[in-house]
Amino acid sequence: MSEFSFHSYCHLLQSIRETRSTNAKITIFANCLKSAEDEKTLALAAQFIGEGAFEEISGKRASVGSRTSGLAAAKFCEIDYELVFKPCRTATGSSSEAIARLMENIPEAVQKRNPEKLSLSDVEQIFERLQRVSSRADKEALLWEAWKRMTPVEIKYFIRMLSQGSLRIGFETRSVVASLAEAFGQDREEVRYAHMITGSLGKTAVLASQNRLDEARFCLFHPLSFMLASPIESRAADNLEQYVAEEKFDGMRAQVHVDGPNVKIFSRDLNDITRTFPDVTTFFSGRNLPATVFDGEICVYKENKILPFQLLQKRMGVKKPGKKLLEHYPVLFIPYDLLFTNGTPVFDLTLMQRRELLENSAKKFKLPFTNQYEISSDDDVKNLFDRAIQHGNEGLILKKKKSVYEYGQRRKSWLKVKKPGGSFETVIMYAHAGSGKRGGTYSDFTLGISVKDDERYEEEFIPIGKAYGGYTDKELKKMNQKIRELTVERYGPTLGLIPELVVEIEFDDIQVNKRTKAGYTLRLPRFRAIRWDLGPNDVNTLSDVENYFQQKISRERLTQIENPSFTFHTNDQK
Amino acid sequence: MNIQKTGYHGLYFPDLGISLDGHHPEAEVVFVSHAHADHMPRNRKARAIATRPTLDFMDRRGFSGNGDPLAFGESFENNFCRVTFYPAGHILGSAMIYIESDYGTLLYTGDYRTPPSPATEGFEAPKTADILITEATFALPIYKWKSHEELTHEIHNFATESLNDGYTPIFLAYNLGKAQELMHILAPLGQPVMIHGAGYKLCDVYEKYGVGLGNYSVYDRNTCEGKILIAPSSAMANGFASNVSKTRTAYCSGWAANESRRTQLTVDRMIPISDHLDFFELIRFCKQLSPKMVFITHTPNPAVVEHYLSNEGIENSFLHLEADPED
Repeated sequence: MSEFSFHSYCHLLQSIRETRSTNAKITIFANCLKSAEDEKTLALAAQFIGEGAFEEISGKRASVGSRTSGLAAAKFCEIDYELVFKPCRTATGSSSEAIARLMENIPEAVQKRNPEKLSLSDVEQIFERLQRVSSRADKEALLWEAWKRMTPVEIKYFIRMLSQGSLRIGFETRSVVASLAEAFGQDREEVRYAHMITGSLGKTAVLASQNRLDEARFCLFHPLSFMLASPIESRAADNLEQYVAEEKFDGMRAQVHVDGPNVKIFSRDLNDITRTFPDVTTFFSGRNLPATVFDGEICVYKENKILPFQLLQKRMGVKKPGKKLLEHYPVLFIPYDLLFTNGTPVFDLTLMQRRELLENSAKKFKLPFTNQYEISSDDDVKNLFDRAIQHGNEGLILKKKKSVYEYGQRRKSWLKVKKPGGSFETVIMYAHAGSGKRGGTYSDFTLGISVKDDERYEEEFIPIGKAYGGYTDKELKKMNQKIRELTVERYGPTLGLIPELVVEIEFDDIQVNKRTKAGYTLRLPRFRAIRWDLGPNDVNTLSDVENYFQQKISRERLTQIENPSFTFHTNDQK
Repeated sequence: MNIQKTGYHGLYFPDLGISLDGHHPEAEVVFVSHAHADHMPRNRKARAIATRPTLDFMDRRGFSGNGDPLAFGESFENNFCRVTFYPAGHILGSAMIYIESDYGTLLYTGDYRTPPSPATEGFEAPKTADILITEATFALPIYKWKSHEELTHEIHNFATESLNDGYTPIFLAYNLGKAQELMHILAPLGQPVMIHGAGYKLCDVYEKYGVGLGNYSVYDRNTCEGKILIAPSSAMANGFASNVSKTRTAYCSGWAANESRRTQLTVDRMIPISDHLDFFELIRFCKQLSPKMVFITHTPNPAVVEHYLSNEGIENSFLHLEADPED
């Protein structure tokens, strides 16, 4: 790359997209990193590809959704959003790709654009400005201003960076780390470590380029990637004595950083959620703790009971909860791990060593902490599991006693034991073309429930979820044959079907979601069985779904008075 | 005028006693616009009228009914109408069908492309028609084709770069039309080409009507390494050239314009070369012909074309004939 501009950078992203070998991709990007002429450009080059418009640890977000950018682009191109833009988006399966191609093709859009060879810093400034405005009109004005200065390929990746998702070029964080190592002759493992500690690809890039990776330090009030658990089915525990069991709370994973009166809370996706949970902040700021970082779970906790996640949802995303909300849904942060104490990171200690530190801290400062159980047989696991379910929790986490805190990784040191949440009979409404290995077949399915006799709806069936797994290759083939017979409409990669094929799906949980037609979404829906023996009259109705949800949230829960899930010495020590 | 659907997705005109691209028991003849499977009559007893190349292709693809040739510019007449063929630029022999009768004039495009494929008789349309029945396969403004020169450049580059790097280039293209167009475009490179058997048996028809396909032979697994290979996408799943370790594949189709196709097919290059016209050419053609009525067929997105034509003040309606996604 001779001249480092946002345009040349986006071209490079496109060629990474078009390259198949991972090693070749890594080399392409390593060369790009080497050609960055200054620290700022280098940091942004590493950040944009791996984290998007904003550094993950900044917690910043522009909230430019696909509707906002789609509406702005339709106006920019002077085309009808509903009639023209939406079919284009459906045909490509990507809003950003549709926008880029319309920007290229439509004369009205070409006329408005005067590409300027923006630098990466120019683009960073545009992102910053977008992040500061909140109304759709302001966002639209800024998007227009930016697009006028860009080529279509820049517009495509600009939009993808804003959405904070993947750039969809087959190049994930691991590959960025590998490119950094290759570009600056560093050890890949050291680069990875520095990235985990700093939580920032930009900072890691600069440290790597200046041979200063050893300076990477964990900073309080900057989130550390969470250690994740694998499902036990796929990675069976061979020797149960190596593990301890804890109940898996029906709450929200969080990291709490405390230093005296200062408290910050981070969510699993490393966003700062401090303002959402003032009750947690108050709880910790009043206890005068030394600099400490806890990993744990936020739960709605009332009258000695852990209440369902569905109630916690009412608190999630509310930036300034009012008095009523705080009274109705009071939360408690229950720590189960300790990552930093007395000025030192301790994630390299074993679980049992960290546990000792956690217990000491919890006793001294009157904090709750999970109960841990020794296990040696499948019966132990079963008994504990049943009790966890009676507490209203999701199941168990088995943790390897000797494991260190493997931040940002999902290995078998932590195993989760969960049971499926439930199942419904549904009907396939749409089939979507698969990608990757499943290319050429219709492998993803939109599943519907019946609202035939429901006065609130005009339709016969409405979607309840999308599933793309749980069937065998043979079943998939058979389904695809049937689908061909049932197809009545075609929208690019999607087929509209006569609702006839019945599928029993299972799912982990059910949540209220007002943005869907049904008003609910299922967590992790997947096939349990294809019911060739059933017809569309046998599928579950929306009322069934509503009943299921009601039963779930109003289910009796054991209190935390006897055999509790966690220890919390409040009354006896006051 | 009364227009009815017939056959797989053909049209029957009861007032004129004829049908297009599909057999009808009451029709005296069926006119076949071109030899792609979705336009060929399936009834062998049908009396078919088509261009000579189209009849030759039909013959090789197993149509054993009666076929009468009609050359471009010549007309067929019965008691109700006069039918004339215009070159459609889609594949060799492809014709647009122009019908004059007491009900006015009607142009049925079949599949067409303008500017035309270089491996066809070109493109020519009547000045005007009262009714236009047009395909609209790529009926969205995201589809705008690159120029013939740009595509030629991409095709040449892919072939030469692969060969220079020690790889065997494989072009994935439909057996009839696209495959031969690629061969015609590749011919100036002078490199040996091998084509999959299903496409090979159609090649001599091109040569017979004067379209040069260069230095080619039928695919031979044992000697294909280092040659330029051409095969339909489906052949890859059946072990086409699987004995060659270093290959690069290019998917050649209008659908290659969509990024999602890349992950579905796992190919090295996507070359969006189509044998249909793009959205902008379609709207331009409709305006130029200024028909009283446009019927849109063969499209997954009729509403978009309807919207644009209505904005141009051209009356229109969707005539539901299914599009073949592999076209």
